[in-house]
Amino acid sequence: MKNLVAALLVVLRKELVDGLRDRRSLISVLAPLALLPVLLFVGMSQATEAVERARQITVPVIGAEHASELTEWLDQQAGIEIEQGPDQPREAVRNGEVDFVLVIPKDFAERFAKSETAEVEIILEGMDRGLDRAVGRVRDLIRGYSRGIADQRLIVRGISPEVARPVRVETIELATQQQRTAMLIGFMPLILVMGIFVGGLQIAIDSTAGERERGSLEPLLVIPVPRLSIIGGKWLAATAFSLASAVLTAALMGIGLEYSPLQRLGLRLELDGGVMALMVAAIVPLAFSVTALQMVVATLARSYKEAQSYVSFLMLLPMLPLALTMNSPIEDATWRLLVPVLAQQQLIQGAIGGEGVALVDFGVTVLMAAAFAGVCLWLTSDLFRRERIVFGR
Amino acid sequence: MIEVRGLRKRFGDVVAVDDVSFEARNGEVTALLGENGAGKTTTLRSIYGLIQPDVGEVRVDGVDGIAQPLSARMGLGVLSEARGLYPRLTPREHMRYFAHLQGLGRAETETRCEDLVDLLGMQDFADRRAAGLSHGENTKVALSRALLHDPANILLDEPTTGLDVMSTRAVRELIVQLRARGKCVVFSSHVMQEVAAVSDRIVVVSAGRVVASGTPAELRRSTGLDDLEDVFVALAGRGGAWE
Repeated sequence: MKNLVAALLVVLRKELVDGLRDRRSLISVLAPLALLPVLLFVGMSQATEAVERARQITVPVIGAEHASELTEWLDQQAGIEIEQGPDQPREAVRNGEVDFVLVIPKDFAERFAKSETAEVEIILEGMDRGLDRAVGRVRDLIRGYSRGIADQRLIVRGISPEVARPVRVETIELATQQQRTAMLIGFMPLILVMGIFVGGLQIAIDSTAGERERGSLEPLLVIPVPRLSIIGGKWLAATAFSLASAVLTAALMGIGLEYSPLQRLGLRLELDGGVMALMVAAIVPLAFSVTALQMVVATLARSYKEAQSYVSFLMLLPMLPLALTMNSPIEDATWRLLVPVLAQQQLIQGAIGGEGVALVDFGVTVLMAAAFAGVCLWLTSDLFRRERIVFGR
Repeated sequence: MIEVRGLRKRFGDVVAVDDVSFEARNGEVTALLGENGAGKTTTLRSIYGLIQPDVGEVRVDGVDGIAQPLSARMGLGVLSEARGLYPRLTPREHMRYFAHLQGLGRAETETRCEDLVDLLGMQDFADRRAAGLSHGENTKVALSRALLHDPANILLDEPTTGLDVMSTRAVRELIVQLRARGKCVVFSSHVMQEVAAVSDRIVVVSAGRVVASGTPAELRRSTGLDDLEDVFVALAGRGGAWE
């Protein structure tokens, strides 16, 4: 056992030195960073929308009891919350206690019942950009409500509402706010998983298919050390690169979001150190299984080139589900914890969403990763015993 | 001391090695002589355990090479057919890597590296990256890698193939030196002159079978031929697959 570990460390050290000297290995560590600008772009495009819609608008109302139907309806609208307004609305607005107040006069119910025009007042100090949006939204909602009532009244009188609406403007919104936030959040696991898959790929290939192709595998296997030491050392070196890539990506992502205009524009996506650490922790087990899988595949390949194309193809496997679920996240579910990549996606989304990561969930993914990596390493070790593989027949 | 008995290995329909037996003693150089594809490499690979023979027995200093390949390999230094280097490591780093894997300590590793750099004349390129080494330099690094742990038994698969005259002589001198130090040296070759120059014992292999073995003098006597090359051709002809 002592021998096994000692030899493993020797192999690990050599592969790390070799990898650090290999331009291709270094490039593969940095490759996922190229995707960061895309992430920021997605973030930017959604930022303006975020300011407009994402903020919860609290509407202070006075006299809500005079129009309970209206205020209840308002309260049910997304992003709108009704609260009891101040007793002295004009004073409160002037003092800046509230931004605006919706006042419903006493005669509202009476006029409303008689089908006369009932008035409501919005009291505000003056317009600024942020307030404009909030007030505009409340105004739009009340207009919408008013139009609905008007339609009903017309229909009751046997008149088609269309008569009273000569022109209609239809605004078609392609992505809703929620979808865009989900997209941004969905992008994070994608880019991190990408880092995991790309970071260690070069070492996984170079130390298996590459080692055989350049004729250094046979001399290595002649040395009386357990195959598991050799494979284990290579595996850990690949994993180290894979993790380096993911950590670097996460760190730059954090810095990028911190200094980009996203935060200032009010994007609700907090990526502080704690969340970053959780994200990286969530992804760590995946690195160990991915590099183990890459090693089996690369060992099976007949040549270095073949190994490269197989392993690159392997990268598509996680990208597909991640890309597909970027726009419409699938529900959190226990079964997802059992599937590598999907499990990490769930954990990362939990971390970003501020829900944190349950230790039990994390434990499950660690166990799954360990089992997966174990099987892959055992397979690789078995392959290294086969003459066909060692001599590339 | 290496003993091989009744070795047989088949790849698909081809019988690569068919009942090969021989013995290589300490302090002697044993040559496996045969044409390409005669089964020399397969025989050597069976000794160092990377090929599992279908039938047969391999003993390295008495250790069963098939049942206990790791223990058997401890007593072996091997220059395999594949002798590639890591292009981004220097020869010295290659030596350190293999020495540490063999379990040598730090101080011991450095002394052995220095010894081998001197012995093989590697001073000029010992600290250059392997990517730019010549074929001869490459072979020297591969040789040093095989000898680091000072093994008692040394297997060299076609050690001089592709080398220029100077490098070939260096390898030959190395073989003679190893014998002088009481090592058991086994090397394969298809070059008559080389075998004649350094071998104490020759095992002639053809089409996977041992067609003759003995000292050069014995082989001459048994065939009634004087020139070793004629001996070789005559013996190989008996194997039947030599054209």
